[in-house]
This record gives sequence, C-alpha cells and structure tokens, in this order.
Amino acid sequence: MSPEIEQFLSGMKKTIEDVVMPNLSDRFAQEQASIVAASLGFLGLIQDKTFHYELLENQEYKRVLTDINELLSNTFSAPAAIIETTTKVTDHFDTDKVDDPTYLRPYKFIRGSNEAMKELLCEFIQQQAEMPTELRTAFEALMKPFFKSIELRERSWVKALGFDPEAEQQADIADLLYKDGLLNIGKR
Amino acid sequence: MREYYTPTLKNRAQPNDDWIHSIRQKYPTERTLDEVLTKKLRNRTHTAEHKTDFSDLENQLVSFLKKATGQDDLVLKNLHRLSGGASKEQFTFDLTWNQGNSIRSSEKLILRMDPTESIVETHRLRESQMLNAMWGEVPVPKVHWTDPVGKELGHPFLIAGFLEGTVQPEGGDKASGLGMFFEPSLRLDLKEQFVQHLAKIHTIDWRKKDLTAYESPRENHVEGNEWSLGWWERVWQEDAVEAHPIVENAALWLRENMPTVEKPVIVHGDYRSGNFMYTEEHQINAVLDWELSHIGDFHEDLSYTTCQILGTPLEDGSVLTSGLLSKDEFLDKYQHYSGNTVDPKRLFYFDVFSYYKVAVISVATSSRAAYGRKTHLDAMMNLLSGFGYTGISALQRLLDQGS
Repeated sequence: MSPEIEQFLSGMKKTIEDVVMPNLSDRFAQEQASIVAASLGFLGLIQDKTFHYELLENQEYKRVLTDINELLSNTFSAPAAIIETTTKVTDHFDTDKVDDPTYLRPYKFIRGSNEAMKELLCEFIQQQAEMPTELRTAFEALMKPFFKSIELRERSWVKALGFDPEAEQQADIADLLYKDGLLNIGKR
Repeated sequence: MREYYTPTLKNRAQPNDDWIHSIRQKYPTERTLDEVLTKKLRNRTHTAEHKTDFSDLENQLVSFLKKATGQDDLVLKNLHRLSGGASKEQFTFDLTWNQGNSIRSSEKLILRMDPTESIVETHRLRESQMLNAMWGEVPVPKVHWTDPVGKELGHPFLIAGFLEGTVQPEGGDKASGLGMFFEPSLRLDLKEQFVQHLAKIHTIDWRKKDLTAYESPRENHVEGNEWSLGWWERVWQEDAVEAHPIVENAALWLRENMPTVEKPVIVHGDYRSGNFMYTEEHQINAVLDWELSHIGDFHEDLSYTTCQILGTPLEDGSVLTSGLLSKDEFLDKYQHYSGNTVDPKRLFYFDVFSYYKVAVISVATSSRAAYGRKTHLDAMMNLLSGFGYTGISALQRLLDQGS
C-alpha cells in the first residue's frame, strides 16, 4: 500500500515548514506550527517501530512477572497482599498467555496487556515495603536489570525529540529493538 | 468512544466521586492544592476539549475590569496573546484607568489564565499571595487582580503589571527556557544576581507575610516534605496515562528516605532560566512563575535549579546551571549569600525528588492534558514527553547510586 506512512508525514512536515510557517505572522501560531513540524519529524522516525516496541515490552514484562511469581511461590514469607498480586498475574496470563504467538495479535491488544502488566509490576513495587528483608533483596536484584532496560529503551525512543543533553551517547532505537534483523527479545 | 486499557486508566479518564475521595485520602496535600486538584478531576468529564477562540475575551475583560475598579471610563487596548511558556495562556494589554491617586494613567498589564487542564494545576490565589509577599523583597510583577475560581472569564486568572525585559536571549528559542544559552559576558553579569535572589527568597520571614493559602510546616519535622511528595504522588496517580515501574520505585524511595525539614523557607519551586527576566543593562528585573511555590526545605530549590536536565550543556561536556554557572559555583555562592549550609545527603534526596517531579509533570500531566485535548498547547504537551523520559532515565541512574 502506498504512499507509505513515512511519505505522508514527510509531505506534511515539508508543507508546514515551507508553506505555512513563512506565512504566519502571529508568534504564538509560529511557535505552535514549529512544534507540529517537529512532531511530524519524530513520527516519521518511529512510526514503523511502534508495534515492535510494544511487542518487545510484552515479552519483557511477561518474563519479569513470571520470575517474580516464581520467586514468591518459592518463599513462605510473602504477605497475603503480595500473594494476591501473584494471583492477579496468573489470571492475566490466562488472557495473554506467556507462550502465545502475541505477535499475531492487534496492536491495541498488546498495548492493553502491557499496561495491565505494568500496573501489576507497580503493585509489587509498592509492596516492597511489606516484604521481609531477604525477599526484598531478591526482588530488588530481579528489578535492577529490568529498570536499566526500561531506562535505555525509553531514552533511545525519545532521543530524536531533542531534549536529551547526552543524545549522541544513546543507542538508536532500531539498534535496541533489532538484532541480526530480528526483534531482540531478551533471552534468559 | 474511547477504549480504556485498564480500570485504573478508566478511573483517571472518568473519575467518579468514590475514586476522587480515595485519591484525596491516600495522598494528603495542602488544602488549596487539594482544592485545585479535586476541581481538575471533577471537571475532567464535565468539560469539553479546550477552545482557543478568544474573540470575546476583550469584552469579558473590559466588563470585569469595570466591575473591579468601578470605573466605566477605563480603556483597554492592544490585547495580544503571548508566545512562550508551557502552562498558562498569557495575554498582554494596555489599560488606561485611575489607579487610586485621581490621576488617569496607562499601564501595560499581563493576564495569566488557566487552560481547561494545565501541565501544572496550581492555584491563582497562592500565586498572587506569593507575588504580593515578594513585592519589595525580590523583583516581581505587581499583582492587580486575581480570580482563583474562574467565574469572571471562564477560567481562573491573575492580572499583573507587565515588565519589559528579556527572558530568552536572541535566538534562544528553547521550550519554556530550558537549556538556555547565555553569552559568557551576560553570564558574568547575571549569575551573581541569580544566586542572590534565591538566597533572599530563602531568608525571608514568611511567617510575617500574608500567605493564608499556604500551610505552615513545623520545624525539624517531615511534614513539609510529606506535603511536597504527597502533592506530586497524587498528581501522578491522577494523571498518568500509563503505569511506570521506575517512577513507582522512586516514590517508594522518596517516602522511605524522607528527611526532616530543619527550618522551613519559601521554596520557589521552578527557579531556573526561562523564569527570570533581565533588562538591557543586564539587571534581573523579575523573578517569574511562582505557581509551584510552597513552604519547605531550601534544598528542594537547590536540587531543582542545579538539575542537569534543566541546565545548559557546553561543548566540553560540562553543564551550566540555568546557563549561567557551574553547580559547584552556584552552591558556593548560595551558601555565602544565604548563610545556609548545604547538606549533601538532603541535596541528594532532592535530586531524586526533582527528577521525580520532572517525570510527573512531563510524562503524566503533560500527556494527560493532551490526551483530553484540554490545553492550548496539546502538540507541545506530547512533545514534552521526550523531556520527561529523559528525566526518568536520570532518575533511575540516581536511584542506582542511592541504593
């Protein structure tokens, strides 16, 4: 199907910059038009990666929540509220199964599942205060590399927006998402 | 019909009374902040998307001013919208009226008005009280009228004197003044004043000022910091368009590591380039944007002001605080002018707090405002997520150090 989305966006950006902006006399309108042009430029760069970004996150969250559930099922010291959250995780995995071919699902399904998993992980994070020391240490050890991977991924995603003073040091999002031409789903 | 991915997201988009009540109970904050945040939630489903049609603004403004002054012969001219800024809608106009000394005169004024939802939901009464408290202490615009409710022009507003000066140097063009570049000679002229004004703000005896819209935290107590954190935690829970593990973890760290406030001071809350103005003679003639001010720990301002993400990166890799001076020089000068001693542990706590606040404002609220199409700056609100996620990255790196 053509034109490709990238071409649509690039055409709109060019029109805004070359035709609309030079003819705007109001400073507020000029300012907003330049923001629209910048947004179109950003969309042009990331539009073909959005589905895979969510798919990668889907796999990462499934992996970390599975690990947390394993950790908690191997301990007798987890408080009841935490056990309740593990049950919610198990229930969620009935909707979006860990080993399902999620890549065949629509974008909105994956996005919704990811949001549900993020909220569940945040519940565990809030519950750290109730965890016995040993359990909390083990939980923190699981989370540390996970936090790092979120941080690197998000920072690469937004680097083209121009706010990052260390943008040049961040990987391109395509390099983080793909390895050898395939989606770089983290292996255990 | 919009699709909500989870019940939490539905509650945030369509808050009902029970949910609003539970949020208020869970995240207590100052009374007037509670007032505006609760109003924001109640309005969320009751207001349509924000309109940027101001064809009737002049008539409404004239009619308000006639009522407020009792002068039917006042004249309003040259109403213009201002560019720049990221939260309020701002307009300037010339007003000719009798200012109480029986002499008719003209003055250029600025109208700061809330959009339907803003990147920061704040109280115009707090802002006007703080501006009045600062009058004669540090350079600020003079407040003439305030409507914190919004019954006069449809939205809460504040009208103050307009000060002529420069916020962004020529060719600055930075969103909200972040990372602004000042020529070295300009830095030399401004940096001393920049630190002196902050030191002055922190040494004002706020108990002698009319700040009834602000709560007064106790000395050597955590409550000042609890209110500060409660404010931003609440905003995150009200506005986030997606859950975020790093932000959640940061909130827990901030709660578990919260220091006491030894001696509460007036905290500006957004002290940086873009929020001060200078004259052609390179004198700072206005400290602006007091909407995030509160009474708290002076380290909160120091950490925020020296926060790398708000600074100006130079080619050699260093970062200038507000584009003016290094962090070390800023802190040295601050201690000299204020007499306050900087506690590195508290400073670190507020470094984490500052990035948490950046994340709440630039990832949660900015996205929420654009999601609901509630501002005059929806496109900019989306773009600012880039600033927010860069802030979350810095937040995570700090938490790694802290652990």
